[in-house]
Amino acid sequence: MERDVPRKGALPGLERGIPITLLLGLVFLPFLARSSGYVLQVFTHALLLASLALAWNILGTGGLISLGHAAFFGVGAYASGLLSLKPALSPWLTIPVGGLFGAGLAVIVGVLCRRLRGAYFALATLAFVEIPRVVTDNWDGLTRGSLGLVGLPGLPVLIIGPWRVEIGSSAAASYYLVLSYTLVVVFLGALLWRSNLGLALQAAREEETAARAVGVHVDRYRFLSLLLSAFLTGTSGAIYVHLTRYTVPGLVYSLHFSAVPVIFAMCGGRFTILGPALAALVLYPVDQFLFHPLLPAGHEFLYGLVLVLVVLFMPGGLWGALRRSP
Amino acid sequence: MTLLRVEGLGKQFGEVWALRDLDFTLEEGEVVGLVGPNGAGKTTLFNLISGRIKPTTGKILFAGQDISALEPHEICHLGLGRTFQSSRPFPRLTVAQNVLVGRVFGKEFRFRPRPDDLETARELLEVVGLGHKVETLAGSLTPSEQRRLDLARALATRPRLLLLDEVAAGFSPVAVKHAVDLVLRVRERGVTLFVIDHFLNLSLRVSNRLLALDQGEKVAEGAPPEVMRHREVIRAYLGLRREDEND
Repeated sequence: MERDVPRKGALPGLERGIPITLLLGLVFLPFLARSSGYVLQVFTHALLLASLALAWNILGTGGLISLGHAAFFGVGAYASGLLSLKPALSPWLTIPVGGLFGAGLAVIVGVLCRRLRGAYFALATLAFVEIPRVVTDNWDGLTRGSLGLVGLPGLPVLIIGPWRVEIGSSAAASYYLVLSYTLVVVFLGALLWRSNLGLALQAAREEETAARAVGVHVDRYRFLSLLLSAFLTGTSGAIYVHLTRYTVPGLVYSLHFSAVPVIFAMCGGRFTILGPALAALVLYPVDQFLFHPLLPAGHEFLYGLVLVLVVLFMPGGLWGALRRSP
Repeated sequence: MTLLRVEGLGKQFGEVWALRDLDFTLEEGEVVGLVGPNGAGKTTLFNLISGRIKPTTGKILFAGQDISALEPHEICHLGLGRTFQSSRPFPRLTVAQNVLVGRVFGKEFRFRPRPDDLETARELLEVVGLGHKVETLAGSLTPSEQRRLDLARALATRPRLLLLDEVAAGFSPVAVKHAVDLVLRVRERGVTLFVIDHFLNLSLRVSNRLLALDQGEKVAEGAPPEVMRHREVIRAYLGLRREDEND
């Protein structure tokens, strides 16, 4: 297939160098940052946001821009949180179930928005977030409404043979769990991108009419990409809720979790596999370490600034500008 | 054998009939030119046959099957391909990937690629003279190269009938000659061709038959020289008025 063909990038050395250096840095970070729990916490969150941006871009590969991924994130978070409280199921089980709830919600979105494209799809998803948020906020009997969920079980104990790792009570173990999950999402995204399914999605994004005319069942593949994207987003939400161990509707259904994956994907490069994750791993720590101390109230203006600059000067995103092909 | 049969086909946009009560057939192995002035309904007819828009009246039978209610990808799977008047490449994919989309999805979906898919794509690109551009991004091709890419991508779906919309419009005389050779090579592959050719620079040389439309209606059909001598066709192209006819 086309992946066997060598490609010329703009900076062939950096194309491999940057991701490999970054991966090594991430693997050894807990040893480097042994003294600072704060650094680990920031990078744990950055990795979680990276998984979110990657999951968002699985839908983006097919050309659809969602401004409502907080819906899947929130549903995944609440499903996992509630199931771990009442039937007191293990988070090992409830986290993927949270993902399934995200995918279930995506079935509704997919059916309702089947005919929508471009800005219309984006605005519909933006409005759609309100439905699960309002339901969660008002169905007190099930969700505890605006009181939120408190005292949630943390990330569970991992038992491998004789080893017993208390992930929830160790910042480093939590970090490694999120790192592993994000790497799985990278792997799935790359696999999808390089499969024929990814080819169909990209063709539909580039020229939908032509894609249909050469036999691509555009609606079906977009629907599949939406399900996968929402499943992973719901899973990210579920992991998040067990990291923070509490939540309220206004938190997990907030605009933040809808906007941040879009910003990271746009800045990193929507037409690349790794771009969205790289942007999350650079921008979120820069925001937290540099801008948050300077401007505690308005530090997120960084995202707006970077987004404007990237859209104006590097429409393919930072990673997209560094390398010409995905 | 009749490959395409169009019966009583009509398409209304608002108050206007873009096509009205059209009947014709295409036989397997033919090359038929579709001619007519701007607004005659040529592209509307292609959009109807390829399923991009649905007819208001009548039906379209392809190899005996009614396809007038099918979606474009289903029609493609049956073996009916098309190109577009202004070419529609996938700009951020490579030339080879463009053709690969047609190859992989043209008949049915295969999740696992076949090893010969890329090879077939390269062969088709050789046929249309883009063999040296396989790794180029389609968006950076010239307009004439993009048209040829459109053709290679459509051929990759293995069509029995191919609708070519203005393959040679705006080409230089030399490029038109190449396009004629290309169309003849495609016919040799056993593909039936239905060719829109507003400027008549292609169809007079390659067609067995011409079909002339004017204002949504068929005005003439038959051997190219006869159709070109037909009073209605001359009037449509040259704008002859009724009172001039008696001269």
